[in-house]
Amino acid sequence: MRILAYIIKRALAAIPVLIGVSILTFLISHAIPGDPARIIVGPKASKEAVEAIRKEHGLDRPLPVQYVRYMKGLAQGDLGQSIRNHRPVTKDLADFFPATLELTLASLVLCLAVGIPLGILAAVRRNRLADHVARVFSVIGVSTPVFWLGLMLLLLFYRNLGWLPGSGRLDITSSPPAAVTGLYVIDAILARDWALLKEVLSHLILPAFCLSYVYLAVITRIVRSSMIAVLGQDYITTARANGLSAARVVFKHAFKNSLIPTVTIAGLSLGELLGGAILTETIFAWPGMGKYVVDSINSLDFPAIMGFTLLASTAYVVINLGVDVLYAFLNPRIRY
Amino acid sequence: MRIWTLCLLLLITALAPAAMAADKDTLVVGVSSDIHTLDPGVSSDNYDWRQIYPCYDRLVKYKVKDGVGLTEVEPMAAESWTVSADGLKWTFRIRKGITFDDGSPLNAEAVRYSFDRTIAIGKGPADNLTAIASMAVVDDYTLEITLKNPYGPFLQTLATDGASILNPKVADRAVNDDKAQAFLAENVDGSGPFKIVEWTRGQRCVLEAKPNYWGGAPKLKKVIIRFMTESADRRMALEQGDVDIAENILIDQIPALEKNKDVAVKRFPSQMVEYVYVNCQNEKLKDPAVRQALSYAVDYQGIIDHVLQGNGVQMRGPIPDGMWGHRKDVFQYTKDTAKAKELLKAAGAENLELTLIYSERRATWEQIALVMQANLAEIGVKLNLELMANPTLRDKIDKGDFELCLGAWSPDFADPYMFMNFWFDSAKAGLPGNRSFYKNEKVDELVRKAEVSSVVEERKKLYGEAQDIIMQDAPYIFLYQIQTIVPLRANVQGYVFNPMLESMYNFEAISKK
Repeated sequence: MRILAYIIKRALAAIPVLIGVSILTFLISHAIPGDPARIIVGPKASKEAVEAIRKEHGLDRPLPVQYVRYMKGLAQGDLGQSIRNHRPVTKDLADFFPATLELTLASLVLCLAVGIPLGILAAVRRNRLADHVARVFSVIGVSTPVFWLGLMLLLLFYRNLGWLPGSGRLDITSSPPAAVTGLYVIDAILARDWALLKEVLSHLILPAFCLSYVYLAVITRIVRSSMIAVLGQDYITTARANGLSAARVVFKHAFKNSLIPTVTIAGLSLGELLGGAILTETIFAWPGMGKYVVDSINSLDFPAIMGFTLLASTAYVVINLGVDVLYAFLNPRIRY
Repeated sequence: MRIWTLCLLLLITALAPAAMAADKDTLVVGVSSDIHTLDPGVSSDNYDWRQIYPCYDRLVKYKVKDGVGLTEVEPMAAESWTVSADGLKWTFRIRKGITFDDGSPLNAEAVRYSFDRTIAIGKGPADNLTAIASMAVVDDYTLEITLKNPYGPFLQTLATDGASILNPKVADRAVNDDKAQAFLAENVDGSGPFKIVEWTRGQRCVLEAKPNYWGGAPKLKKVIIRFMTESADRRMALEQGDVDIAENILIDQIPALEKNKDVAVKRFPSQMVEYVYVNCQNEKLKDPAVRQALSYAVDYQGIIDHVLQGNGVQMRGPIPDGMWGHRKDVFQYTKDTAKAKELLKAAGAENLELTLIYSERRATWEQIALVMQANLAEIGVKLNLELMANPTLRDKIDKGDFELCLGAWSPDFADPYMFMNFWFDSAKAGLPGNRSFYKNEKVDELVRKAEVSSVVEERKKLYGEAQDIIMQDAPYIFLYQIQTIVPLRANVQGYVFNPMLESMYNFEAISKK
């Protein structure tokens, strides 16, 4: 029950944060010089046409009026209409967010599935070959530009070897599965379309790897160092002295205690991955939020920019909360 | 380690061979940008038009002769037309037997409805139709259009995307008096050779051919437009045979493509030009001698040879080669440092410091800005470069808040009006067209006279005279006309490039061997 009260308290505390974010984004995006009305009607249009559009979208009203109008809509779950494509922003977000989420989750899974074992291995075999390999792998990860890595991956696995498909979420000739969650992996499973599932997974491999590589390196290093710290503690020595097998010591006793910093980093990474997917999405023609946001900014599509920012900050708040709750499970000594 | 086994299994199941190339009756086009709206009455974006254009018929269309797209028009939904002696009254006879998907006929009322709708919506495409004062349906298949003034380019504007003919039944789809804008943003309802059957945002748009199209069934059954932001992606997919045509490949990737024998790289003279707006209202640039000096300073051929790698020709006057009204004999600047210095000295404008603004809209602009910086340094002018976001750049252009600015322009319809009236009429100052804020009463008079005449010879003469004055006044630095490069698979046949239909394809005539 105490945990539930804590969650509610944190959720309420998030509301002023989100309002602050909305005011800031609103002010900043309106401070950019440029005229969205002009973008809608096209550069060659007459001044009268521009004026008419400005009126239609309420862009001629004072900023506070525009803001209040926006917040009123928001209270009813209406994020406004995109200036660029004249659609409700909620619809756009529903189209583009799942693609980013799917890519991000796949990257996180990859990060943890590869980073944790690699980090443990490096810690257990400290200063031996495995450790050196893991270190080189990490250093390359931190210092490789995503753009270059993505193109090299495509060049190798798509063009030269032909093992994996090229860019996009699906093959060019395939239609997406019936939309339930928007996450193709889940939708394909729900549709029991195994061929499509295979296609979706094979399209996920390269971009997910590319996106996760930087964080993979970070997680490997964090796991390694916290593992080393834990392995040096008295209770591990005691456990060893009691004749427990090496594997049991590492996985049962040391691993759980070294997880806390990993959870922190994983939580942070998830937030960063969500926001940082843009380059990866560009290289792999991944139809996610990244491109949508850049296009929105380029055409001063205020409602779209606002919608994205609010969604992203909400995601951040939720992830942070999740991380804090997870702490409590991992270490009951942590109090709220 | 179970997790490793799982990963390995996952990888193995996923290691499928790359996608097989599409069927012979499916054409795949790899493009750089998604669609925003499918409404022909709303969109002023060439990338939207790519999908909209093949789904509708228009009164007239651009001619194709021996596989070359021309800028003249010929009948399409209009069988024939007559124009009154004063150039005001146009009477169109509409072809019988054209129907929309639901069986309703394309008739005079459909045309009237479509044009009315576009004008009433009042967005970008309406500009091309504002010459219309009124329309009258004489009988089912005869439409009489009365213009406000005689308007030379009128017929040309009827071949543009904004003049697409809609099924008037679409009016039933209107919500809250929006003239069916919400519906047409995501759907098409035309009588063209194709219709849109799927649009997955950010991924692809699928067009299906109509076998019973009145102009004959298209050879293809399906066209898939695949959205891929990265030039390198489109290039790889073209080389792998996953796409048949790849748009907007960066110039430096072209030589490698040309070595691939499965790929044909075609080049076409386009009507797209790039030039530098020289702000004529700016204190430092008010004197025509200073502007002439700038025009003499630039190394045009160097830019074409090195930045464009030969894919362009130097402009001669404002009207590009290939458009009537272009004059091969009009004066054009070439690099002459000594003369430029002399002009600056005589104008008392030595030690000039200027700023050139540009955006990332075109990949070549950064390099061109650097070349110009070096060129101007040779005549003692210090050029500062300022890169900014496109919306900001546009805002500055509209307000006249700049000294020099890099720009690109392509005509909406095949008439020199798109250059002469837009660029030089002082009433269009700012973003609408006259981006150098140029004002010359004589030129105003000449181009306005040409606008209301429908006699080509007379208009040619008027525009010709204006060009001589303009070149002396040097309100722009006229750089080059771009060559459009279209890389396609060698088995693609029947592709026709039309300089007036940039990014729009003649899908109805394309086939794959």
